[in-house]
Amino acid sequence: MTDPKQPIAWHHVRWLLLSLLLVAAPHALHMPAWTIALMAMLAVWRAYVGYARHALPNRWLLLMIALAASIGVFLSYRTIFGRDAGVTLLVIMLGLKLLETRTQRDAMLLSFLGYFLVITNFLYSQTIGTGIYMLACTVFVTATMMSLNYAGSEPPFRAQLRTAGMLLAQSVPLMLVLFLLFPRVPGPLWGLPRDAFAGVSGLSDTMTPGSLSSLVLSDAVAFRVRFDAQMPRAKDLYWRGPVMWDFDGRTWSAQFFFYTAPGIEAAGDLVAYAVTLEPHNRRWMFALDLPARVPPLSLVSTDYQLYSIQPVNSRLHYDMTSFLNARFGEAENRFALRRALQVPPRSNPRAQELGRELRQKHADDEQIIGEMLSMFRRNFVYTLEPPLLGENPVDEFLFSTRSGFCEHYASAFAVVMRAAGVPTRIVTGYQGGEINALGNYLIVRQADAHAWTEVWLANQGWVRVDPTFAVAPVRVDTGISAAVPRTDPLPLMVRPPYEFLRQARLTLDYVANTWNQWVLGYTPERQRSLLAHAGLDDATWEKLTAVLLVVAGVIVAMLTALALRQLKSRARDPVTIAYVRFCDKLRRRGLTREAAEGPVDYARRVERLRPELTPTVEAITRLYVALRYGAESSAIALIELQRRVRQFTA
Amino acid sequence: MYAALRNRFYTWIFQWRGPEAGAIVLGQRRIFILPTRLGLVFATVLLVMLAGSINYSLGLGFVLTFLLGALGVNAMIHTFRNLANLRITGGRARPVFAGDTALFTIHLENLGDTDRYAIGLTHDRRQASFVDVMARSTMPATAGVAAPRRGVLRPGRLTLFTRFPLGLYYAWAYADLDLRCIVYPRPAPSGLPMPPAASSAGSGTERGQGQEDFSGLRQYHLGDSPRHIAWKAAARDQGLLTKQFTGRAETELWLDWAQLPPQMGVEERLSYLARWVLDAHAAGLAYGLRVPGTSVEAAAGEAQRERCLETLALFDRDP
Amino acid sequence: MNDFPQHAVTSRQLERVIAQVGGIILGKERQIRLAIACLLARGHLLIEDIPGVGKTMMAHALAASLGMGFQRIQFTSDLLPADIIGVSIYNRDTGGFQFHSGPIFSQVVLADEVNRATPKAQSALLEAMEEHQVTTEGETRRLPEPFFVIATQNPSYQIGTFPLPESQLDRFLMRIQLGYPDSEAERELLQGENRRDLLATLKPAMTPQELSDLQHRAQQIYTSSALFDYVQALTDHTRRVADYVNGLSPRAALALLHAARAWALMAGRLHVLPEDVQAVLPAVVGHRLVPAGEVTHANGADIAGHLIKQVAIP
Repeated sequence: MTDPKQPIAWHHVRWLLLSLLLVAAPHALHMPAWTIALMAMLAVWRAYVGYARHALPNRWLLLMIALAASIGVFLSYRTIFGRDAGVTLLVIMLGLKLLETRTQRDAMLLSFLGYFLVITNFLYSQTIGTGIYMLACTVFVTATMMSLNYAGSEPPFRAQLRTAGMLLAQSVPLMLVLFLLFPRVPGPLWGLPRDAFAGVSGLSDTMTPGSLSSLVLSDAVAFRVRFDAQMPRAKDLYWRGPVMWDFDGRTWSAQFFFYTAPGIEAAGDLVAYAVTLEPHNRRWMFALDLPARVPPLSLVSTDYQLYSIQPVNSRLHYDMTSFLNARFGEAENRFALRRALQVPPRSNPRAQELGRELRQKHADDEQIIGEMLSMFRRNFVYTLEPPLLGENPVDEFLFSTRSGFCEHYASAFAVVMRAAGVPTRIVTGYQGGEINALGNYLIVRQADAHAWTEVWLANQGWVRVDPTFAVAPVRVDTGISAAVPRTDPLPLMVRPPYEFLRQARLTLDYVANTWNQWVLGYTPERQRSLLAHAGLDDATWEKLTAVLLVVAGVIVAMLTALALRQLKSRARDPVTIAYVRFCDKLRRRGLTREAAEGPVDYARRVERLRPELTPTVEAITRLYVALRYGAESSAIALIELQRRVRQFTA
Repeated sequence: MYAALRNRFYTWIFQWRGPEAGAIVLGQRRIFILPTRLGLVFATVLLVMLAGSINYSLGLGFVLTFLLGALGVNAMIHTFRNLANLRITGGRARPVFAGDTALFTIHLENLGDTDRYAIGLTHDRRQASFVDVMARSTMPATAGVAAPRRGVLRPGRLTLFTRFPLGLYYAWAYADLDLRCIVYPRPAPSGLPMPPAASSAGSGTERGQGQEDFSGLRQYHLGDSPRHIAWKAAARDQGLLTKQFTGRAETELWLDWAQLPPQMGVEERLSYLARWVLDAHAAGLAYGLRVPGTSVEAAAGEAQRERCLETLALFDRDP
Repeated sequence: MNDFPQHAVTSRQLERVIAQVGGIILGKERQIRLAIACLLARGHLLIEDIPGVGKTMMAHALAASLGMGFQRIQFTSDLLPADIIGVSIYNRDTGGFQFHSGPIFSQVVLADEVNRATPKAQSALLEAMEEHQVTTEGETRRLPEPFFVIATQNPSYQIGTFPLPESQLDRFLMRIQLGYPDSEAERELLQGENRRDLLATLKPAMTPQELSDLQHRAQQIYTSSALFDYVQALTDHTRRVADYVNGLSPRAALALLHAARAWALMAGRLHVLPEDVQAVLPAVVGHRLVPAGEVTHANGADIAGHLIKQVAIP
């Protein structure tokens, strides 16, 4: 079976089918039903042909099927280039290639494709579970390759799997070195298909009533944070996201506009931390209010929002510092302030009327704010399931339903303030988070999504006002689960009665976080910072390559030494081991024992050349002969032999 | 010119050193290793996978790509190891007739604790036979070598190779053992009559004529003694038949170079003599052989057949 | 290696036999020891050499010293099987056939110049050697115990010989070559008494019962698995390599083992050493291994020496 042109046998077909189906199986989750049926048919067909030793089908027939399948894929996906369509097509072509696989070379190429198929699975999922499953698949594909390279008898199935697993296990040290030290290039190298990162949830750049409360139902992780020192208090954990200026009567939206950024007048406490942001396909990044630095490859907007240069479509890790309780924006641009007062004139008339009333009542902005907040405090309800709102949502909320989620409060507060002539903007983001004591880091989930406002006061700049805090202070102090009524459909895990489940989940999250940090999130930046920690500052790729080559060389040398260790014949029984040691001692004195020289002959020769050794050599030889050739087998004699050999010096 | 240069280059790089007596242990300097075509394809697949991992920022993609890359390196070590430290001794090769294929056996001894799989042996790189050598055991491997001419056939350099375990590398070693195989002359097609049997003379023995054991009849050939013609059969119109006897003296046959027509060439004579030897052996006769310079005393049996054919094979050739 | 005593079980009688025979065949102690080892291993002995070096004398001396019945058969080209085995003759008195046993019915049979007889006569002897019994006229007769054949033959390149076929050579446990005596021994031979007269004065140094005991003890000599490994390695080697026309047969391997045990017994040891195997190897394999591709006649010592060097002691 080691001639590439030799036809493969039935058991090789079995190996191929088994390993390829294992690799392709997870794709069934997103492939159209008809392609799954086609794959099953192709596999059964190949199995039958292999088992019954029939001839493989005509190439033209296969070509027709391939053509038909391509058209089918196009009809299903309206393209054949996207991620899903491409992968589906690849799986089908693999099935067809199976029906064309006749020789060992074909089968080997198919195994390579099997490896390639493993990597396509990672486009969909890179969890630990997927990793373990795909590792098993890799063992199977490797075993298939090995099976194709036996010449005569093959070891049993399990033994082959074990050998393949061993081969891979021995490769792990070198893999680790390559993983850590191989010079990383930031991707992408070419355009990504449009659907490459479909289906991730997160904040949006608009806010309508209900948009956040639906997000809160998801317990997906938004980002994780590790603080360098003491973690700030829960009520300071405002994670700043998209800032919204424009209101059309119903929807708030964030739009770029550029002008000179206002400065920071007074920095509060400085806090340093590192964020690992889950991909969300948008450009904004999150930082504690107020970001104090700009991470690489990102920029900060005039409203102190962090933006990544590229959409965040892979896990992003960045070090951040923030000022807690900073004073900023006292010298805010007047165009910006005018913008922060815009309300569509005909929308929400009652709310605007309320704003104007407040302005007439109080001259001081702060009093206006205070009155508004105390109004919320009096008879408003904080709930995840607010009633649906109609034409003028703010009016309806303020004067009839009086129950809502954070976006309702923020929106209503902002409209009233603007009507009262206080420049106000809405900040969306996250508030709070869950501390995982296991890894001592903070998990911020989509469920922690929040919206609050910032008002501009003449001598203080932009000041954060969280109307939700007025309604439900618990939301900010302890988290969402305490703040909403028990009947609200919060994610199960967030609720307190399931403490043990929560604990298990935190443990899992810790593992997942470690995995994310070190396996999935091992970016060029992370590589650089790791190497900097290891004392290799500003690692150019030349330096990296040199280090990589040296370390890899050492590992390969060690592997080789280990592999070649068991090739020479070794003495196995203690008697021979002792005697061989004795012979070695004499060999170092130039008295080498010939391979065909008996022990007594050897002893006589040694005694002739070195008469002074006679008593010891004779005693050792006598013991050895009695133990190895005689009926003597006592442990005492063996110990005596070992002792004498140990003490022997030539 | 080019061929000579290439040969010198190969001699230097592969350390060809001519036939070696005794056992050869495949030390690390004797084994050469190169990736196979499939190995290069594998490397290409890995590059594509690496590019894909970079493009899509697939953390696990990097893991898999680097794992397979390391596997590729490990496969090289294992392919090398599959051949390393094998002990090779030359075995026997049964004599063949010219035109046949000589099968040279060499013995592969695995002294270590690791099983060796799929070790190929080839002479011409076109045909190979494969053996598995389990730990602490010895396996024979055979290489077929065409034997076009009579004489002593020396196969020269044999190649031991392996692609195990993954087929990504081709490791090989040259074994230039002092192997030889006697190639008998191709026997002429049967049909030429046997030379007449001569009664033994000059050996100083006085046995009876041994004509008592009648064994059968055969077609009369010119030169058969009239005393042995089956006259009774002739009278019955069955043509001339010669009586054959198994008695010792009667069948002491001399297959003599000189009995063949003088115009025959050397090789032709040898091939006729070979045919006679085979026929005489098949008939169970005792016979002797005379060729210029040597003769083989009359005897019967397997050993005699081999001795005679070997004499013919080595006629005018150095053993 | 005899003076590397392990256990003092050296048989005094054996030493006496060696001394007695050595007094007649001068300077050939090694061959005498081998011959006795052969006898202790219950094997038959082939002595091959040119005429006049004392083959017959040695056989004679051995038989006499061991106190065994001795018969000599001179093999000639007209020797018939009946001359060896015996014939049934019609007895007028009893009115039936009576078997007159031939010289084979003896404890020690000296088959002199065995390669001068025809294969027919040779095979009669060899059958008897193998079976320890003869069958004539449908009746099977046991041969005496112990039964020991010493055959002598002239080198096969001498004219007028029928060399023993390889298959039958295998039935002799050992083949020894005497060779010319060294000058010292030859001088002593020339100066000393007539050997035949000396032979007549020999007295048995051992009873048949003692000999039988020793043969039994030789079988009991302990043989470790390491030694079996060595014997197997030797035989495997001869079968594998191209140096020999044929490898050693299983019978040859057994012969080697038996001979080595006898040799160990004679050295006064309770177990066999690789050295014992090496010591008897020339005599045991010399007539069994035919070097390939060589026309010249190789002697046992060369063949065995080559073999010993090739095979490592496991």
